[in-house]
Amino acid sequence: MRSMKRPLAAAVLFAAAAFPAALFPRAAFALESRSVVIGWLGQATMNGDKDCGAEGPNPVIGDQYLKHLKDLGYSGEEVEALAKKSAEGGPGMDPVLEIVWMRGRVDGKPTNPYVYPETAIDPKLKPLDGKFAFGFDLDGKGADQASAFTDPDTLEKGVDHEMYRALGCMRSFRGSLTGRPTYWAWAWGQTRDSQPAWIVTVTGEDLSKDGDVTVTFDRALEHVKSNPDGSPKSDATYRADPDPRSHNVFKGKMKDGAVTVSEAADFRMLQNPLIAPELRLDHAKVRISFKEDGSATGMIGGYQPWRDLYWGMANGAPGVELCVTGDIVGMYYLLKHHADFDPDPKTGQNRAISATYYFEAVPAFTTPAQQTASK
Amino acid sequence: MKQMHLIAVAVCAALASCAPAEDKVSGAGTTAGVAPVVAGEATMRRLTAEQYQNVIADLFGDTIELGGRFEPELRVNGLMAVGASSVSVTAAGMEQYDMMARRIAAQIMDEKRRALMMPCQPADAKLADDACARQFLAESGLWLYRRPLTDAELGSYVTTANKAAARLGNFHDGLAMSFSAMLASPRFLFRQETLEPDPAHKGQVRLTAYAKAAQLSFFLWNSGPDRALFEAARTGEIHTPKGYAKQVDRMIASPRLERGVRAFFVDNFHFDEFSLLTKDAEIFPKFSAQVLADAQEQTLRTVVDLLVKRRGDYRDIFTTKKTFLTQELAAIYKVPVAEHGPNGSPDIWQAFEFSKDSAYGGVQSQIAFTALHSHPGRSSPTIRGKAIREILMCQKVPAPPGNVDFKLVQDTNNPVYRTVRQRMDAHATNPVCTGCHKITDPMGYALETFDGGGAFRTKENGADIDASGTLDGKQFKSAMELGKVLHDSPATANCLVNRMASYATGRTFKREPWIQAMEQGFAAQGYVVPELMRAVALHDVFTRVAPPAQQAAN
Repeated sequence: MRSMKRPLAAAVLFAAAAFPAALFPRAAFALESRSVVIGWLGQATMNGDKDCGAEGPNPVIGDQYLKHLKDLGYSGEEVEALAKKSAEGGPGMDPVLEIVWMRGRVDGKPTNPYVYPETAIDPKLKPLDGKFAFGFDLDGKGADQASAFTDPDTLEKGVDHEMYRALGCMRSFRGSLTGRPTYWAWAWGQTRDSQPAWIVTVTGEDLSKDGDVTVTFDRALEHVKSNPDGSPKSDATYRADPDPRSHNVFKGKMKDGAVTVSEAADFRMLQNPLIAPELRLDHAKVRISFKEDGSATGMIGGYQPWRDLYWGMANGAPGVELCVTGDIVGMYYLLKHHADFDPDPKTGQNRAISATYYFEAVPAFTTPAQQTASK
Repeated sequence: MKQMHLIAVAVCAALASCAPAEDKVSGAGTTAGVAPVVAGEATMRRLTAEQYQNVIADLFGDTIELGGRFEPELRVNGLMAVGASSVSVTAAGMEQYDMMARRIAAQIMDEKRRALMMPCQPADAKLADDACARQFLAESGLWLYRRPLTDAELGSYVTTANKAAARLGNFHDGLAMSFSAMLASPRFLFRQETLEPDPAHKGQVRLTAYAKAAQLSFFLWNSGPDRALFEAARTGEIHTPKGYAKQVDRMIASPRLERGVRAFFVDNFHFDEFSLLTKDAEIFPKFSAQVLADAQEQTLRTVVDLLVKRRGDYRDIFTTKKTFLTQELAAIYKVPVAEHGPNGSPDIWQAFEFSKDSAYGGVQSQIAFTALHSHPGRSSPTIRGKAIREILMCQKVPAPPGNVDFKLVQDTNNPVYRTVRQRMDAHATNPVCTGCHKITDPMGYALETFDGGGAFRTKENGADIDASGTLDGKQFKSAMELGKVLHDSPATANCLVNRMASYATGRTFKREPWIQAMEQGFAAQGYVVPELMRAVALHDVFTRVAPPAQQAAN
């Protein structure tokens, strides 16, 4: 396990940078810390065969586009002809895409539906129908909520994870902890190597025993270090970015090698704007399990502004819609309908949706950046 | 007489660290009438790739790209430096040398560089210019041939340059053609021990002044002589005891000594074998080409810091906790190392000291040793033990018979014999195997706490690793304790003395009396490596070879 007592860990590296005469830092310790760097992060999903009804998940995007044509008023024969022409290929814009990528309507005129989703017809995609989902009881209402899930790991009832319900029948969002959902694999694949690493540090008096701990999430100054095969490298060293916008502190408890955050707190982490400029989870809760080799898996759940997620997808539309996500405007409506937190005072529309993310992390060393950088 | 000489050498070497060199040993000025120790036959040694590169860099700067592939080198009795006198140049190798020569010449004559690289410019760039060509070729020839060109040599090169310039209509192209021929000449590619009669010892010979200068510079700096050394050769000062010792002192005090020490240890530690080293990425996911490069550099930095910068005890290389790490290496050692340098600038190398209770300590625990002397997918106490015996202790381990059954040893998932030690013990019950494994394995077991990629471990396949063993009757229970045994073993320090003398002269020596005297001197002055190098440089064996007649008789 990568354990080091924090004050001295900092001092050790600080000393090396500051004093050439004392070039060989030694380690000596006070509080014990254990750090990991996140190598994978994506929505926590656990899709099964029957969670989208008898017909299965929502249609693939090609079929969905043909449905949009019908919703726009094209006759069956017209749709068939357009589909045939589209399949034949040829020069110029694909005739189906030309229409559906401008399927919004303002005063009857074609409009970009990704920029103005409310101008497009709600395709009424189906949400997930299930009882189990990873997450936390964020609102504290417990089992009294009929719509809430039960967490399959903790068996906690009243779990709030409406993002899972909203997007659980979208093919690109379906998956499990081991079979990563396409969208999240794409998103994390885009961001992991293009943004500073996210590091998690658990600090306590004796991490081999049960007791109070502090969990911090920070951005590093370095990107995730990778092995030649692309997997995250364990035991690498990262400097924590002093920027408070990505510094998150949670109070928690260590029990049987697992950390559970007992007091919810807001979570903010700057990230590659390709997905969203910030991963924001209000009233967040966390749990982390450590393995003997120092690696960890964890869940972090909270209320996320659902428009952040939407715009992350819409920014890449329509290419991302066609190749990765599926019907982006359809998901706009799904998210909007299932949002369960932070109602707009004027409209009553909830602006956030409960979400839970799963992360995998490998052991790492961390050191404060301020001290080393200033020397 | 011989005894007196030995005593003199020992005493002088012992005093080497605390008095100017000129007062210490005979070296260039062996006492008249006393028969000097001679190394053996005169040799011609092919420049190593690094020496070639260093000479070019010293002459034209390190921005010159060589762009070629060097001939494979040959290791003889543990050293490439010895093998260098046994190798020639193949036809394919000559093509490479020629290609490099043309490329180097073209870069030097390049329009953007020539003003900086050349001491003169022609009156008309489209015509031959005898004076300018002569000046450039004479100066370059001195550095490349490590002696002034003879009139005939210079005349030939100048004529070639002039004719080519006339034909090509370009002075620089013509000069490049002539200069590339100089670069491809055996006189540049091979270091020749040229001889002359020794006026102080009738019937004996000595290296010529320029050959002596080259011998000294390649030994101490791994490159050709500098201007001061050439001057000492030109004036003959290098043949006087005082003048020679002055040059040795100057060169040992120079920062370039680091380059010489590094070259020695690259050779002595067999780092050329890194070019063939591969690791199973599935088993050692952190291993990369960068790790391979950094691992060598770590050991070299460790050695140079201890032995040259701090003038430390050579034996401490087996126990030192102080080293230098990159993040790539730190991740394997599982220690924190952040990139930061002065004023916050990035510096990929950081000084680091392993904790007292860390298993890491000494070069034999570093990745450059443990990973290099392992299989691609697993460790090997036999290979590691053999490396300790042969590289660090100069002891020969017999090769295994050709019909060995390695099936059990290679069965790393064996449910009964879970550790390599258990497998080796079962394997070595075969009496054919036992003899050799007794020599190698006990030391190798101590390093079993490092896997084939150099990472620390306490278990193998869930079973505890037993790192205990013995070396020449000394017991140890861990890698660090093995380091202490190596530190205290006279064999390691004596091995270095022999290797250093062999490296310096390109010859192999038995443990002759003068070597033993040098061992004593090395011990007496605290095992300080630069002082050992000084003692070697000042010894007769470094500058004298057997007379041709004697060679013929032999």
